[in-house]
Amino acid sequence: MGKVGAVAIIGAGIAGIQSALDLADGGFKVYLIDSKTTIGGRMAQLDKTFPTLDCAMCIVSPKLVEASRHPNIDLILYSDVTSVSGTEGNFKLKLLKKARYVEEDKCTGCGICVEKCPSKVPDEYNAGLSKRKAIYLAFPQAVPRVMTIDAAHCLYLTKEKCGVCKKVCAAGAVNYEQKDREIELDVGSIILATGFTPFDPLLLKQYKPTHPDVITSMQFERILSASGPTQGHVLRPSDGKAPKYIGFIQCIGSRNPHIGRSRCSSVCCMQAIKEAIIAREHDPNLDITIFNIDIRAFGKGFEEFYSRAKKEFGIKFITSRPPEVQVDSAGKMFVRYEDLNEGKIKNMPLDLVVLSVGLDPSPETKKLASMLGLDLDEFGNVTSLIDHPLETNAPGIHACGVVQGPKDIPDTVAQGSGAAAKASALLATERGTLIKEKIYPKEKAIPEQPRIGVMVCHCGINIGGVVNVPAVVEYAKTLPNVVHSEEAIYACSKDNQEKIITLIQEKNLNRFVVASCTPRTHEQLFQNTLKDAALNPYLFEFANIREHCSWVHMNEKEKATQKAKDIVRMGVAKSNLLAPLSTSKVPVTQTALVIGGGIAGMTCALDIANNGFPVFLVEKEEKLGGLLRHVTSLEDGRRSSDIITPLIRNVMSHPRIQVFTGTQLAELKGYVGNFEGTLDTKGTKHEIKFGVAVIATGANELVPSGYYNYGARNIITQLNLENALENGFEKPPENVVMIQCAGARVPERPYCSRTCCVEAVKNAIRIKKETKASVYVLYRDMRTYGVWEKLYREASSLGVVFLRYSEEKPPVVKDSTVTVHDLLIGDDIEIEADLIVLSAPMVAPASNVELAKLFKVPMDKNGFFLEAHAKLRPVEFATTGVLLCGTAQAPKLIDEGIAQASGAAAKACVLLSKVEMETDAMIAVVDEKLCIGCGTCVKVCPFNAPQLIEVEVNAEEVVYLAKKSRINPAMCKGCGSCAASCPTGAISPRGFTAPQIKAAVRAFSGIVEVPS
Amino acid sequence: MAASNVQSCYQCGKCTSICPMRRVSKTSPRSSIYNSNVYGLDTKDIWTCLTCGLCPQECPQQVDFLSFVKEEREGKKYEEIAHKGVFSETAALMSKLNGSSVVTQEQKSENSNYAYFPGCVDFLDLFLHDVGVNFGEIATSSMKLLNHAGIKPKILPLKCCGHDVLWQGKKDVFDRLVKYNTKVINDSGIETLILSCAECYRTFAKDYNLKPKVVHISEFLKGTGANHKSTVTFHDPCRLGRHMGQYDAPREALKASGAELVEMAHNKGDAMCCGVSSFMNCNEQTKAMRVLRLDEAQATGAKTMITTCTKCLAHLNCLKNEKEAAKKYDIDIVDLTVYLARQLEAK
Repeated sequence: MGKVGAVAIIGAGIAGIQSALDLADGGFKVYLIDSKTTIGGRMAQLDKTFPTLDCAMCIVSPKLVEASRHPNIDLILYSDVTSVSGTEGNFKLKLLKKARYVEEDKCTGCGICVEKCPSKVPDEYNAGLSKRKAIYLAFPQAVPRVMTIDAAHCLYLTKEKCGVCKKVCAAGAVNYEQKDREIELDVGSIILATGFTPFDPLLLKQYKPTHPDVITSMQFERILSASGPTQGHVLRPSDGKAPKYIGFIQCIGSRNPHIGRSRCSSVCCMQAIKEAIIAREHDPNLDITIFNIDIRAFGKGFEEFYSRAKKEFGIKFITSRPPEVQVDSAGKMFVRYEDLNEGKIKNMPLDLVVLSVGLDPSPETKKLASMLGLDLDEFGNVTSLIDHPLETNAPGIHACGVVQGPKDIPDTVAQGSGAAAKASALLATERGTLIKEKIYPKEKAIPEQPRIGVMVCHCGINIGGVVNVPAVVEYAKTLPNVVHSEEAIYACSKDNQEKIITLIQEKNLNRFVVASCTPRTHEQLFQNTLKDAALNPYLFEFANIREHCSWVHMNEKEKATQKAKDIVRMGVAKSNLLAPLSTSKVPVTQTALVIGGGIAGMTCALDIANNGFPVFLVEKEEKLGGLLRHVTSLEDGRRSSDIITPLIRNVMSHPRIQVFTGTQLAELKGYVGNFEGTLDTKGTKHEIKFGVAVIATGANELVPSGYYNYGARNIITQLNLENALENGFEKPPENVVMIQCAGARVPERPYCSRTCCVEAVKNAIRIKKETKASVYVLYRDMRTYGVWEKLYREASSLGVVFLRYSEEKPPVVKDSTVTVHDLLIGDDIEIEADLIVLSAPMVAPASNVELAKLFKVPMDKNGFFLEAHAKLRPVEFATTGVLLCGTAQAPKLIDEGIAQASGAAAKACVLLSKVEMETDAMIAVVDEKLCIGCGTCVKVCPFNAPQLIEVEVNAEEVVYLAKKSRINPAMCKGCGSCAASCPTGAISPRGFTAPQIKAAVRAFSGIVEVPS
Repeated sequence: MAASNVQSCYQCGKCTSICPMRRVSKTSPRSSIYNSNVYGLDTKDIWTCLTCGLCPQECPQQVDFLSFVKEEREGKKYEEIAHKGVFSETAALMSKLNGSSVVTQEQKSENSNYAYFPGCVDFLDLFLHDVGVNFGEIATSSMKLLNHAGIKPKILPLKCCGHDVLWQGKKDVFDRLVKYNTKVINDSGIETLILSCAECYRTFAKDYNLKPKVVHISEFLKGTGANHKSTVTFHDPCRLGRHMGQYDAPREALKASGAELVEMAHNKGDAMCCGVSSFMNCNEQTKAMRVLRLDEAQATGAKTMITTCTKCLAHLNCLKNEKEAAKKYDIDIVDLTVYLARQLEAK
């Protein structure tokens, strides 16, 4: 029996959605399953995301819509898997789809039923802080936009009373007789992405979790959110007043073996810092303290964010864990804690207590694991190996996201893509067998006369709370050629897409302007809506009245409304001049180039090759293996050779991988789908052609010269220590001192290198087990995050001594004496050491600069490559066709690098799976008549798109050769730099032509022209 | 690796913030762990610790602070033991003298599977005659109640259980007592050993390795048949409560006797200590602890406070019956068995 070219993804949070999109884009049928009524998972509940403070809903909402609109994805919601049979390649799933009591195909999502429903129920989306109705939509942007009746609280279903929703539903969608029904699916692979459930603090009664002003971090997230119960105002639940003193208590349900939760939840420190900063932004009078044991700010940009919290926002951090929340006789809350530095007991009065709750495995995970025969680790996570982070013990069943262990959003997204790569590799032969292309209606011809539709969005209260939206709607009606104008609570919701289509058809519109947020996140959504309405997508125009208006003029409502009108007027003026644009197709070389033969590069190459595409793997060293060759043991106690050796063997023997060692990429031209490169192997050149490139150039351990007397005898780095532990010490040490952050978290290198704490405890355990030495670890914060907290515990139990030092008073090394200022006793301590090990950070290779120039991709300020988006695009560059993974992006642990590598492979396979690809339509074009061949455009283009070519000019009697600029449509990103710098005005960016811009500018100045 | 697992301490300070002793002194469990674990230093806090068991209950890293204290004290001499160490000296003497036992009148009930041991009530009566408690009444009350419940237990010729010397660091004395008592108990052929003293109960149950089951008398007291309506509060001795997890049996026995039980602000798992265990210290700090506890009891409005540990009984009554009392408390502090036996008599 052949394999089935379909994948079931259980869990439709951001991990599941990412897997679904990558598989569906790569040509597989996807069933995205969730027990909830909507997709989006926990991320949809967040207010903003760290460390960039992007609005979570704004970045996830387009993904929700994309997943729901994708022709290859079927959403199967409100459904539980009841049984699974079959094997890898051929699974049969049975599901029970619970009755919504609302017909999905009839419900328009209008919400009248919700308005009229008399039964109120605590709202899960707002973490119980507000009420929803018994018939409800989980949240305003929920996808699909279909109501559900909560049978337990519906008066009709429980007592046969009421029945109001059925009466008011004009669409006849309410059906009290609806029954649960069984669904059967045939799939080739299963991806488990069941995420987490926030720890329930009722288990820790001493923190008074039932007190109204003691809330969880998830509840505080909702309070901070504009769509939350207090519209984003920081108010305490008991009396609705603004608090003054807020205290966060960390590790509630984490790092606490006492209650069976010994792992660190990885994200709570950053979540607390984020929430503290947002709260301070909302109310600068707040006095916020975060009680913690260690602040685990280990990810990219996290340490810098933590620094800002202290310095810019005055957030206080106290290293102490209050044992309880107390209430005094006057009813005032306070916590009692030991000031470790002063050795004093202190009381801190608090108006609001936020419990930073950890990530518990979701209840579904255990059930599914037993159904699927999956092993769970001691923490309840699906068991995986360091070298196979996405694979479970059951062949054909993959896991991604928090189900595999606590992690943040970018790691979850990378794993989501990675699991897609694993599933698609398994089913590579079945690619494209079960999918359908989305067919849009044929584009209508556009008559001369513009007929413009306008929709003005409230964006919940993001816009509507500041701008008088109805007034803007009325104003728009007065503008030339506007034939329709209306408002919307969320223009981006699914029902409003239907609405736009109907409007275009009924009112014969040929331009559409949405006044809401930013094209960055939402343009494609509305463009596709236009396509659905048989209009060219480029006849859509955005008027950004949120980022450009309501958000920045919160306290000037009247002026903001005036400005919103101005912005709409500009958008309408420009839209009068919009013209249909078309894309073109370019062939794709279905081969990948992977640069870097470390663990990430090799994994990525292997995954791409296993998906059926040839790969060139280039490594500048003579041997494959990268930094891991210098590491001798893994966190799980295995030897690193246990994973490198088989990987190298698999790479070398793979028929589709061609390995070039001792080789560098010397030259590069071309663009996504059509790259041409020159490889240089010690002077020997190879010309290669490829469609995508993955940068996996890794990182190096810093040579910590200038820190702690490095260079003197017996002062080594952790990698040196790995080597010594493997090959033996000259003389076994008796007193070992490890110094953490040796060259990291310092002004010249402000980032945390993420891996060094885990590395240090791993090596400390090894020393303890293999020698009789005393081991001291001098640290600032122990950042043994996630499941690796267990190594910290083990090291402690083995007698490794941990001493905290402060940034202000780092240890001093003189000869064999390490002097450290012990904060806990307030005194300098001298330790005689015969071995001093510096935990030096990973640093980006200097050669990144050349590669960045070659590919024209950006680097961050620490010299690592900069991904397209910190949260949702962790393995991509802004430049299409160029991907990244592993420590080239930022320091990370082995399993994290491997997951990212698989993620990058998935992205590569999506591009390589097509014989030809479509170019962007909004690109720059050259009017060759005006081009004088000066080459300015070639110099300014960040994407290598323009080239000067020689053409023959025929001017009546004169014929001559001249240079002319030609812009490659596959490489042009439409940024407009060339057009702005072209001295003759020969270059015009489509969608932003000079007449269009001019019309907008004139409209801004108040000149409303009726175009002829 | 030490049994106490102090190495796991990650210095969060929860123990110090919750330590009842910290409310009356500068003691810091966290810092004593740190000093010992990192620097191998002793601290005086080791000796002020009540071993009440509150901090290990809260410790996220499950550090067994009680074992740590026991280990730290072992073999070391503490000069300030309360009552000039008379009780430990007695125990030491007893451990060395052949045939000496706490129980002078051995009662042989040939066909009983049960034995009852009253603990050192006679010595308490001898040395603590001024606190206003008849400790011997606990033994007679216990026998009455057990007989009423249809149990005619043997009285074994046991020596001191060794509780105090164990917690005072005198492991050698303790080991001798264990050796003697274990033989008597195991050879007696009983199936169940019943104790009325919380300290004896904890010690026989956890620090001995006995053949018979070790049970606290409160588990046999539900059936007095009395119906005496009075308002009482119950003080959980740390040895019965946090050490042994027995919170319900004494409460159920009280309720069954018709008593209305009102709880103090701190009760069951987070009950406050009487201020002293193992006769370690008697000073301003331990007295302050007692003030805290009796204030809580007074605030309940109950006229009777029931407990089931001779130390709690001695210390709380001692404060109440001071000749020049700094503070007056209008509350009787009575042992559970005595309270219930009196009800039985009155019936």
